[in-house]
Amino acid sequence: MSDEAPPPNPEPDRATPAPAPGARPVPLFSFGRVATIASGTVTQLVRMKTFYFLLAFAAVVVAAGNFNLPATPAKELSMIKKVSFGTMDIFAWLFAIVATALLIPRDQEDRTLYTILSKPVRRIEYLLGKLGGVLVVVGVSLLAMYAICAVMIGAREALFVAAEVEAMTADGRYSDAEIAEQVGLIRQQGLRAELGIAVLASFFKAAVVAAVTIFLSTFASSSLFTIIVSILVFLIGHAHSMATSFWLHETNNSVFVQMLVKLIKILIPDFQLFSFSEGIVQGEPVVYALVWQMGAVTGAYLLVFLLLSLLVFVDKEF
Amino acid sequence: MNPEANTAGEVSAVEVSHLTKVFSLGLKREYVVAVDNLSFHVKAGEVYGLIGPNGSGKSTTMKVVLGLMAPSKGSAKVFGLDSGDIRARNEIGFLPENPYFYKHLSGAETLRFYGKLCGMKGRDLERRVDELLKLVDLEGAATRRLGGYSKGMLQRIGLAQALVQNPRLVILDEPTAGVDPIGSRQIRDLIMRLRDEGYTVFLCSHLLEQVQEVCDRVGILFRGRMRREGALEELISVDSQTSITLEGASPELLGKIRELVQRDEGTSLVAEGHPRTSLEHLFVRIAERGEDPQP
Repeated sequence: MSDEAPPPNPEPDRATPAPAPGARPVPLFSFGRVATIASGTVTQLVRMKTFYFLLAFAAVVVAAGNFNLPATPAKELSMIKKVSFGTMDIFAWLFAIVATALLIPRDQEDRTLYTILSKPVRRIEYLLGKLGGVLVVVGVSLLAMYAICAVMIGAREALFVAAEVEAMTADGRYSDAEIAEQVGLIRQQGLRAELGIAVLASFFKAAVVAAVTIFLSTFASSSLFTIIVSILVFLIGHAHSMATSFWLHETNNSVFVQMLVKLIKILIPDFQLFSFSEGIVQGEPVVYALVWQMGAVTGAYLLVFLLLSLLVFVDKEF
Repeated sequence: MNPEANTAGEVSAVEVSHLTKVFSLGLKREYVVAVDNLSFHVKAGEVYGLIGPNGSGKSTTMKVVLGLMAPSKGSAKVFGLDSGDIRARNEIGFLPENPYFYKHLSGAETLRFYGKLCGMKGRDLERRVDELLKLVDLEGAATRRLGGYSKGMLQRIGLAQALVQNPRLVILDEPTAGVDPIGSRQIRDLIMRLRDEGYTVFLCSHLLEQVQEVCDRVGILFRGRMRREGALEELISVDSQTSITLEGASPELLGKIRELVQRDEGTSLVAEGHPRTSLEHLFVRIAERGEDPQP
């Protein structure tokens, strides 16, 4: 044997390190992977310039705020709020449907899904990430829309109060108490912290709609189908009480019809539950117990539809 | 004995055993057998090519190996792990045919995205992204969005994302499909470099010349069945014939060789002429080096 020192390691200068031996463990669930997919979804939606719809919303709010209605200042403010918050609600659920419906089928059509699922990503993590990303964008959009509304309502409220005080003072017939009462009536319909709860209700509703849409998109063949069926589900979800009173309490309906209505009531979320926000917008006091209840109902719907989505998606072949 | 181990006792990178995949066609109760009782293995460290015409079952086999599809019968294992086991995916880097990554992301962002999905973060991830961009020669396009990438650049960034978690097995589905000869050569060089660095490469292609250039072993798939499989040299060499290539041979020497061949019973001259370069080689030489194509 030679006593010479062994030659230096002849291994070439690698651009990549040597592959690791042995199977590397994969955690059962990773919030990091969910967050990566969610942030990727947010980036995707932002770079698709989806926030441009906020300009359309701002235009609606500005238009609503500048209508000179033949009504008292309080009624005019009420009308501005109705239009603004109604539009905000529509934009939120419509955005939730369209954004969600575009994501999974598009990933599948573009084969991006192949490369994602061929990494150590569990399918539940993918679904949660997509839903999470949509909800972040919906939440930020709602906050932005609320800010636009707040600026408009606040400005109009200040204008109405100043005009009312000036007019009543100039008239000279009103006491300070009467002026304060009138100002109070206007402020009742003005910008109040409770309006944030109405925004939260819109978010709850949009979250449930997004969860339903993600469930539909796990087996739908196209984005268009998903959007249409989701809107249909949303509309049917607003007819729960009508369906109950008309078909279930009518004795002359067949058992089949009654069973069908019951099945639809189970499968389709009751979106009327979230209409409690309409009263808040109109200045009614907030029942916080109801808000918590709605939060729990939203959580339950999200859980159920995510589980249903997973049932379909977990064994889906691509 | 471990069924996934080869004769040397090493675990195969891929072990496909009696794999059958049947698809049902809608509600018509009609079935298509895409892969029929397919068995083969890919040794660790080799480049294995699965070749066959469109619809022969190559992509279906790959998807089963990737865990994107479940076998109807049989099994597929990756380094001894069932292909449905998520740990197997840590060992696999996959480049699909005609990959469409998120167009809104830049090259570097794409690699970061896939790296994070594999649990990488911080400086390790940044270092890996830089390494891979250098490897695939896309450092200059790192911040450009993929929407502005050419087909060849997309394939190369796709290869980089496949390598991001430093897998032991790289699966490439038609890696040079639709890429021009220069881009195709770059990808081929990368595959050979991966082999030199110890990666196992399993690729599907119907571009036979390229498979011939890079693969150690090939399997020929036709209508879902393995028709031939083995080392490339064994499969394509014609044992009964011998070729001799001479340089600078005079007409006299060539005459003598012909004479010798004629004199020998049982030997005949099958072909004689000048060896030809391929059109692809000629194109690359002209495009890359600006060489004069005239002799």
